[in-house]
This record gives sequence, structure tokens and C-alpha cells, in this order.
Amino acid sequence: MLTLHRSLLHLYPAAYRCEYGEEMLAVLSEVQAELGRQSVFRRVVSGVHEAGGLLYGALQEHLRSITGFYGSAMFSPRRFTMRSEFRFPKATVTLMTIIFVAILVAMDRAKAIQESIPYANPHVGPVRSINFTVLPSLLLVLAGAGVAGAIGWAAVFALRRSGVQRLSEIGPADNRRSGGQLTI
Amino acid sequence: MGPLPITEPVLLILLSLAQQPRHGYAILQDTKEMSGGRVRLSTGTLYGALGRLLEGRWIERFKEEDSPRGRQAYRLTSLGRRILQMEVSRMKELTRVAGLRVVRKEI
Repeated sequence: MLTLHRSLLHLYPAAYRCEYGEEMLAVLSEVQAELGRQSVFRRVVSGVHEAGGLLYGALQEHLRSITGFYGSAMFSPRRFTMRSEFRFPKATVTLMTIIFVAILVAMDRAKAIQESIPYANPHVGPVRSINFTVLPSLLLVLAGAGVAGAIGWAAVFALRRSGVQRLSEIGPADNRRSGGQLTI
Repeated sequence: MGPLPITEPVLLILLSLAQQPRHGYAILQDTKEMSGGRVRLSTGTLYGALGRLLEGRWIERFKEEDSPRGRQAYRLTSLGRRILQMEVSRMKELTRVAGLRVVRKEI
């Protein structure tokens, strides 16, 4: 089991392994030595538990090395509690539905008007309507919203990164002043 | 404003280090003992939490002088101790209010 755990330690970023690798291996060895006196089932359960912890830890460290944040901080439920104050008003849904139906009706009416007016000007070619059906239009709108959202998220992420870089330069005295909050 | 509520494993790690500096395995043993075997931290989880606490300067790492291999140990910083005291006060207050509410409900 210790061999498996040792190999899982290789999943951590190299810099982290250099700093904590030996120490973690020593702890894993002590845990294994303690388990030696217990049943096979207990040893297997504990081995799987340790392996899971190492996999999760390695993932967290990689995320941290890429993003500058710990994984659990990124996906912490506390982040979502900030959004709990936000309420999507039901009236907005109704209003958006009415607007959407109105647009569809207007499109249909415009098409009918365009078809009812006979082609009269020989210098201008026939005006052809673009045959947009509802589903492709919706998909197009959703794709556009997705792209806009991705750009917005990238901008917010870039701002947040730069903010964290500034905060990392603050010393312990400043940290104390701010209440020393830490997302765990 | 006080710190946000911290998770139970992290609270147990801080309580373990509040008593005396400890190395990794000793922290694992102590947290298990304090929780009556309910909280069993894995090594990966422990070091993830220690990394975050080191980053926040709640704890610090140092080389144990009296150990044969000169292994690393951890201790609370003054900031960490202050935050732990605030957290304990917060929990005491919460327990006091909870006790009052539960007693009122039972009467």
C-alpha cells in the first residue's frame, strides 16, 4: 500500500513534492505501521482513504499552481453564500416571456407583410426573407450569450487574479487588520 | 468583524497546535483522539489544510531540534491563536443561544 501511496505522491507538482514529499511519506509510513496491527479490511479501507486524500490533494495543488487559488476555495460553498442574496424576480420571467412571444409574432407579421407586397421596382431585386426558424435562432442566441459570458468571466477572473497578487504582498500586520480571514 | 466559520477538521488541527507544536503524524493522531475517532484526516487532506494555514500565516513550520531526523513541525502563530480564540468565542455564543432556544422549546 505504501508503494501505491508513494506513486500517488508523484501526482503532486514537483515543487510541492520537494517541499513536503519526504514529510508526507514519513507520515504515510507511520500510518501504515500503525495499521499493521489491524485487520486486513481495516487496512484496505484506510489505504483507499489515504489514496483518495492524496488524489484530492494533488488535484488541489495543481489547481493552485494554475489559478493561484486552492481548489476547495474555488468550489467552496461559502462562495455561493455570497450569491444567496440574489433573487431572480418572477416578474422578470413573465416579462421576458411576453417580449419573446411579441418578437415571434412581430417576425411572423413582418413576413406576412413582406409576402403581401408585390414586387414593383425592376431596379431592385426581389427582397427575400431570411428563413430563420425558432430553434436555430434560439441556439444562435444561446451561443452568443455563452461567448459573451465567457468573455465576461475571463475579465472578472483576470481582475481577481491581479487583486490576489496585490494581496499576497500584504504582510501579517495587514492581514491581522483585515481580520485574517481565510477560506478553508 | 470576526473570521468566517471554519471547518471542523481545520478547527481540530488548530486546537491540536494550540496545546503544543506537533509534526504531521502527531496532528493526525490528536485530531482523531479529540473527535473520538469521528474525524480521520488522510495525509493528503492534512497537508492541504496545513498548506492553506501556512499561506494565511495562521501557523508556521519549523525544524524540530530534538528529533533525530530533524523533522518539520508546526505551531500556531499569534494571528492563528487570536483567530482560534475568536472562533471559540463565536461557538460559545452560538451554543449559549442554541441552549436557550432548545430549553425554551422543551418547556
